Amino acid sequence: MSKRYLNSLTAAAAAAAMLSLLPVASVGQSNAKTDAKTGKSKAGQKENAADFQSAPTPTGPAPKMPNGKPDLSGVWTPGLSFTQMGQVPLQPWAEEVYKQRRANLSKDDPEGHCLPAGVPRISPFLQKFVQTPTLLVILDEGNIHSYRQVFLDGRPHLDDPGPLWMGDSIGKWDGDTLVVDTIDLNDKTWLNGQGLPHSEDLHVIERFKRPDLGHLEIEITMDDPKAFTKPHTFSRTYLLRPTWEIQEYVCNEFNVDAEHLVGK
Amino acid sequence: MATSFKLRAALVAGFALFGAVCPMLAHHSFAAEYDSTKTVTVKGTVNHLSWVNPHAYVFVDVKDASGKVTTWAFESLSPNALSRQGWNRNSLKQGEEVTVEGYMAKDNKPLADGSIHANSRGITRADGRKVFVGSSADDVPSK
Repeated sequence: MSKRYLNSLTAAAAAAAMLSLLPVASVGQSNAKTDAKTGKSKAGQKENAADFQSAPTPTGPAPKMPNGKPDLSGVWTPGLSFTQMGQVPLQPWAEEVYKQRRANLSKDDPEGHCLPAGVPRISPFLQKFVQTPTLLVILDEGNIHSYRQVFLDGRPHLDDPGPLWMGDSIGKWDGDTLVVDTIDLNDKTWLNGQGLPHSEDLHVIERFKRPDLGHLEIEITMDDPKAFTKPHTFSRTYLLRPTWEIQEYVCNEFNVDAEHLVGK
Repeated sequence: MATSFKLRAALVAGFALFGAVCPMLAHHSFAAEYDSTKTVTVKGTVNHLSWVNPHAYVFVDVKDASGKVTTWAFESLSPNALSRQGWNRNSLKQGEEVTVEGYMAKDNKPLADGSIHANSRGITRADGRKVFVGSSADDVPSK
């Protein structure tokens, strides 16, 4: 396996350098030669692969809003956080559904059909947080372009809006921690790519902390008495990528996969 | 025809490791669509590159001994993932010679345009440069 190949695997894993099982120490910079004047490689491509791989996480104090609350704004990569959910204690029917989805190799995953991920499922792609004193907007680059609005203005939950793909989210501050409460989620989404199911009673509480400039720590509790035997809590850590920007990802543009997802 | 099916234990093992590190770069289950045990190496010329979501596709023309041309369609990563590794829609030129390594689709059905359907894990240009390296090989259970 070539070094260049390993480089790219690591690059694709984004935060794998931190958590990787790969021999990261052996991974060097791109072998491509870069023209000092144009910044282009011999192949004519912009040589930002090295930037992507090194992608340093900035250090410094977490920024504050004018009202003194932490500002969670920024472009964040979830790194490998999106794979980590731990052992979710499922009710028997949910365990059965999960086994069927595993047996089918996740061929019916809604994301394969370009449907929204739901909450708290995320993709490996970037999320952009835009915060005002009364609203936090989370823009997802993928799996499809989707967004979450977290209302910080003290409003209550909507009065039975019907099941929603991304739910109804309101946030309140607990010191420097933003506590986001989400309900009214539909049961069409999977909790992860392996097919963990949930019901419409799913209640998600996310506790967002920005301990410093470069890190966003999220503790997530999922409570779903219909699907779980008890509430389940897990954590994710996002890394700030100040020089990156979310890109287009129009999933339905050429989703030829859908008709070829056969499972076993 | 410079096409051969090879079982490559080492690479498969390598991809199992990759999968453990970097699962779900696709928006769909890799294992539901492609066969990780059925690797393929195709040498031909670039017909065209579709820089589209959710996955870029590289179409490669392969000529057999009789001169008959067959077009292969290789699914690559998504344009956002490719661009962050420094590649773009000009990283491959129409007509240039390439060697593509990848995996066959499970259903053995062509795409709508009749091209043979496979998943790319990397493309080597005539000068030895590798582009579009990486695959959506994934499917690592979380529990």
